[in-house]
Amino acid sequence: MQKEFAFFPGCVLTQAAIEAKMSIEAIAPVLGITLKEMKGWSCCGASQAQDVDPLATLVANARNLALAEQMKLPVLTTCSTCLLMLRRAKAELDNGKKENINTFLARGNMHYQGTSEVTSLLWLLAQNAEEIKAKVKKPLSKLKVAVFYGCHSIRPHKDLGFESSTNPTSFETVVRALGAEVVPFTKRLDCCGFHAVYPAEKSVMKMTSGIVNSAAESKADCVVMPCPLCQMQLDIYQDDAQETTKSKARLPVIHLAQLVGLALGIDARNWVWIITS
Amino acid sequence: MKFIIDRFDGKKNYQQTYTVERKDIEALTLLGTLLFIKQHQDLTLNFTASCRMAICGACGVRVNGHAYLGCDTKMTELFEEYKDAETFRISPLANYTVLSDLVVDWEPAIENLRKIKPGLVAKDEFSEKEGCRQNQEQYDRIVGQWDCILCGVCASECNKLTADHSDYMEPFVFTHAWKLANDSRSKDPMIHTKAAVTNGLWNCVHCHECTNRCPKHISGAEDIAGLRALAMRKGLNSGVGPAHAKSFYTDLVEDSGRLNEIRLALRTEGMGTALRAGTAITLMSAGKMNPLEIFGGHEIEGHKDLVKMIEAAHAAHKE
Repeated sequence: MQKEFAFFPGCVLTQAAIEAKMSIEAIAPVLGITLKEMKGWSCCGASQAQDVDPLATLVANARNLALAEQMKLPVLTTCSTCLLMLRRAKAELDNGKKENINTFLARGNMHYQGTSEVTSLLWLLAQNAEEIKAKVKKPLSKLKVAVFYGCHSIRPHKDLGFESSTNPTSFETVVRALGAEVVPFTKRLDCCGFHAVYPAEKSVMKMTSGIVNSAAESKADCVVMPCPLCQMQLDIYQDDAQETTKSKARLPVIHLAQLVGLALGIDARNWVWIITS
Repeated sequence: MKFIIDRFDGKKNYQQTYTVERKDIEALTLLGTLLFIKQHQDLTLNFTASCRMAICGACGVRVNGHAYLGCDTKMTELFEEYKDAETFRISPLANYTVLSDLVVDWEPAIENLRKIKPGLVAKDEFSEKEGCRQNQEQYDRIVGQWDCILCGVCASECNKLTADHSDYMEPFVFTHAWKLANDSRSKDPMIHTKAAVTNGLWNCVHCHECTNRCPKHISGAEDIAGLRALAMRKGLNSGVGPAHAKSFYTDLVEDSGRLNEIRLALRTEGMGTALRAGTAITLMSAGKMNPLEIFGGHEIEGHKDLVKMIEAAHAAHKE
């Protein structure tokens, strides 16, 4: 297993999903992973800034990738939208834009080479499921889990490409390694709507509600997701969404790293209190 | 092996199971399999198809809940994707009204296409004799989008259309608007862009299903992003969608270099709405955000250099 990473938390982990940062930083040493937070990383554009200025967004992410290259480490993030933005930037740079963008990075004495790959916590755990299984101290054998992939961990396949986007298995592999039961969950590949919660609130609440209801119908004890943005959407808007559709179903929504932490037997009091549902 | 096919006879929906030998269909396409079932088992099974070479766009259907162009999908690919499944579920495209079995009603989607004025309105320099010439670069910019065959596969999987189609259009409609707005022969990109804005451009939920499913490798989501950037440049920037996107850019370039969620909510929704019932309050009441964060957000290390890099890019782009 690759043991050392340039850690790209993404903006949400520094503020609204601080518990996701606490939990990933708690599980990393137990799994023998060293996360070195990149100094001076900037917002990836969050699947929004490119609508205003695609060039500036590409420059910012070329700089982010160059920061990891200076550390001579691959990038790891748990936010699926950061994952998509960084991987898309890398693909654009590696497919012909590198030279041009480097002329701009030179203004800050930086240079993008294309030597640092970008991966996610989910992918890393899936690739090392057997090793993780051996480190489980408290198998989650009585827990029924609905795994929710979130769009930007699988789509578009051309930019992510770790596994099939119509029939992925990485998340199930990880959750089973933790000893939990994965329940069949119709909406496991749906969109939570997070990125359009402002302009299309009514639709987004319907989408969020549909996901919670689908997980509840499958008798899940909780919904787990690798992406802190999906987690935020299904957690903080759950009551509003369920009131909109007059549904009584309510489920706890937790981060992948929190579930891993529980199975590893880490004292989670510090970062599980934020689970509000 | 089994194919469970969704059927509709005009009055009732039901599923019908067809059992076939894998050896009879494994060298075929998905459309070939439907034709095989029709020819050998059930002449009443209804679906549309014509060219069998991914040009006419008539044979889009769903397999196991994901849309495919029937003639462009080999059964071997489906066996690989679904790990040698013994049963496949075949359904009509989603987000369309079903007329019969796998046949759907295209008229509402075509009505939407009409809204963005899908014909090229040529520049005044156009003449019958000279035409309206493009250089290679101008042609290359739009040639991908010209490949759209109106198969509807993107629309079938669009999460926004599934939630509510009343304030949105099929992703391919936005692709056609992008294509015409970015065609060097077009007289005015705004003829197509304005109609896209007023018919839901900012309501895309970024699920990327359209990009993912397109058999022609066109990215509807990227075309939507391109139209948004064009609309913003042309001053069509009112509403929460543009305000929300702009606030990310403001944080990245003009502020600290990172997103501040409280300020984001205030900028997007306006102070009044945000403090009355908006996201800022939701975040705080869920224990997700410290109200003092409104004053927080130290400038990232190297931010001044980042701004210099972006300014250099802008300057070069203008040249």
